[in-house]
Amino acid sequence: MSELPPIPRPEQAPLPPPPGQRRIVLPPHRQRARRPWSVRAREWIRRNLFPSPGGTLLTLLSAGVMGIMLAGVIWFVFFDANWNVITANRWLLFAGSFPREEAWRLWTSIAVVMFLIGLAYGTWSSLGRRDTLFVVLTGAFVIFLMAHGGASIWSSIWFLVAIGLLYVGYYLTIWMPRETSTRRAWQQRIVGGLLALSLPIVLIVLMANGGATTRQFDGFVLNLILAPVGIVGGLVVAIPLALGRASTMRTIKWTCTAYIEIVRGAPLLGWLFVALFILTDVIGDNLIINTMVVLAVFTGAYMAEYIRGGLQALPSGQYEAAQAVGLTKLQSMQLIILPQALRISIPPIVGQAIAIWKDTTLVTIILTLRELKGNADSAIAQSEFIPDRIEAYVFVAVVFWVVAFMMSRVSQRLERAQGIGER
Amino acid sequence: MTDELTPVDIIAESAGPKEAAVAQPAANGEGEVYSPRLAGSKDIIVTEHVDKWFGDFQALDDVSLRIKEHEIVVILGPSGSGKSTYIRCLNRLEEHDAGRIVIDGIEMNEDVRAMAAIRSEVGMVFQQFNLFPHLSVLSNITLGPQKVRHMPKLEAEALAMQLLERVGIPEQADKFPSQLSGGQQQRVAIARALAMQPKIMLFDEPTSALDPEMIKEVLDVMQELAESGMTMIVVTHEMGFAREVADRLVFFDEGALVEQGTPEHFFTNPREERTKLFLSQIL
Repeated sequence: MSELPPIPRPEQAPLPPPPGQRRIVLPPHRQRARRPWSVRAREWIRRNLFPSPGGTLLTLLSAGVMGIMLAGVIWFVFFDANWNVITANRWLLFAGSFPREEAWRLWTSIAVVMFLIGLAYGTWSSLGRRDTLFVVLTGAFVIFLMAHGGASIWSSIWFLVAIGLLYVGYYLTIWMPRETSTRRAWQQRIVGGLLALSLPIVLIVLMANGGATTRQFDGFVLNLILAPVGIVGGLVVAIPLALGRASTMRTIKWTCTAYIEIVRGAPLLGWLFVALFILTDVIGDNLIINTMVVLAVFTGAYMAEYIRGGLQALPSGQYEAAQAVGLTKLQSMQLIILPQALRISIPPIVGQAIAIWKDTTLVTIILTLRELKGNADSAIAQSEFIPDRIEAYVFVAVVFWVVAFMMSRVSQRLERAQGIGER
Repeated sequence: MTDELTPVDIIAESAGPKEAAVAQPAANGEGEVYSPRLAGSKDIIVTEHVDKWFGDFQALDDVSLRIKEHEIVVILGPSGSGKSTYIRCLNRLEEHDAGRIVIDGIEMNEDVRAMAAIRSEVGMVFQQFNLFPHLSVLSNITLGPQKVRHMPKLEAEALAMQLLERVGIPEQADKFPSQLSGGQQQRVAIARALAMQPKIMLFDEPTSALDPEMIKEVLDVMQELAESGMTMIVVTHEMGFAREVADRLVFFDEGALVEQGTPEHFFTNPREERTKLFLSQIL
């Protein structure tokens, strides 16, 4: 201990390591990481916050602005705001006029959907620690939303059941034998089929045997039902449209182009009025179903353009190679072109999905039912909460942001999962 | 099924009104023999008076060429001379505008089934490899046999592994194309084409997109393929390969077939001025 070996000086170039025993020489930035954290923190601050006089000025300026804003937010959230408007109206915000005694139907739907999400995760991806955290936080949020009066214990139990089912679904798919790609393909087919059936399942759970009527779908629940239908229905409409628009046959091409341009030419609100005033004569009186159709038609037009972009981004060599291997046109579309084109168009498609999720609030206007935003208004309209209208809107904004953010996270995950074969 | 029929029979049978104008029924095996090993081989590719236009630009101008089974033909020519267009016409990646193309007795025409039959006889390797980036190396190779030939999955995978051994990279089977070097990708592309068990292989500048140190590994695979008796048509600028492996060199310029002959003829005593000029630039 008394005699430490002399510290080697870096002036001399290090000798090449003798063959067989390689010494690991860390690059300078890694060596720095070994120093005590206080030194590293000081260096980080200097490098990132005060790199130059200009940088220092920018740091101070933005710190000032952020400080003022943060102070305002903290003041509002903790001292100024009266969050009772939310807690007193949780059910109204969440489910509106959905009959309260049928809450178990909502919970069962949530549990079923969670189970399906678990299955899907196990089949196509893997759960990470961050996902778990996200699930727990979102779940807590749902409890908070749905808990009302003395039922909060039941909400917690239902919540635990739903989360439990998510993990059951996940481990079920992990545990199922799927070493060979045939089995994996079957698993994907089955889970995909279940996912496709999820909407009918949910609707049956909600409505069958004296449950709610479609008129009673309301609040956040309505958004949660309409948005997935719009998104998935839109994709189903969009793929043939995109292929049609890229077709060499003129009638098909022109029909698809006309569809896309006409639908994109009017705002969603306009099409929702079509659902209200025209489709009621064409399809039927059920406004929810008409709205679903309109949402799918509307989303489809936008998504078709994104998918067409993906189709055009593919090098022509891919088409040629598929032909040269002997695939028919249909096969090369299904096996070669579409998988790649869809991967390319994931980011804009998810962008459109987020947009349509938020735009389902527009349905309020035509439903004249009280839907999430409408309920915020009715919550506000209660005379005791009149001064607290801003809290209600902030709350609604946060709910929408959380879901939109979750969608964008899922998008990134999708891109990574699909990016294996990236060129 | 069409094996019993000679190309000429098929031509005679299927010559429609359009072809009738240019039809010049030729005796079987009329094509010249450029190498003693090809004596007695039948003509597997017959092209007569083929024209191809891209708008106002004539890419192929009256190209007539007969190629024997097992023959190795190297096509030379400056860029834009129509050599790629020519071999792309042979599996109908391009449609020819006039003239006749008969592959292994199958007349190339509008008939979709004829086209499918031809494509399953003709494999193609591209300059840019054109592997399917979203599929593993193994799936790239098994796709054709499974979807077109309806081969059972296990059988297709066994075949793919066998072909990967043949091109020297069995250990890469589970990787994705982007994880391989250019030379390895091109060898996978060759394996993918071979998986359809074609009688003819077309190579469209297979080494032009490769780094110099990877060219040899691809050329070695091609040479082994040539020695195994495959009929090959190769567009390339690799003069070493042309000199050593080819039975016949064909020189294209401005869409027309200018000169053809044995490698010896080309490298010692080319006839045409344009050929001499081109060879002096490239050698």
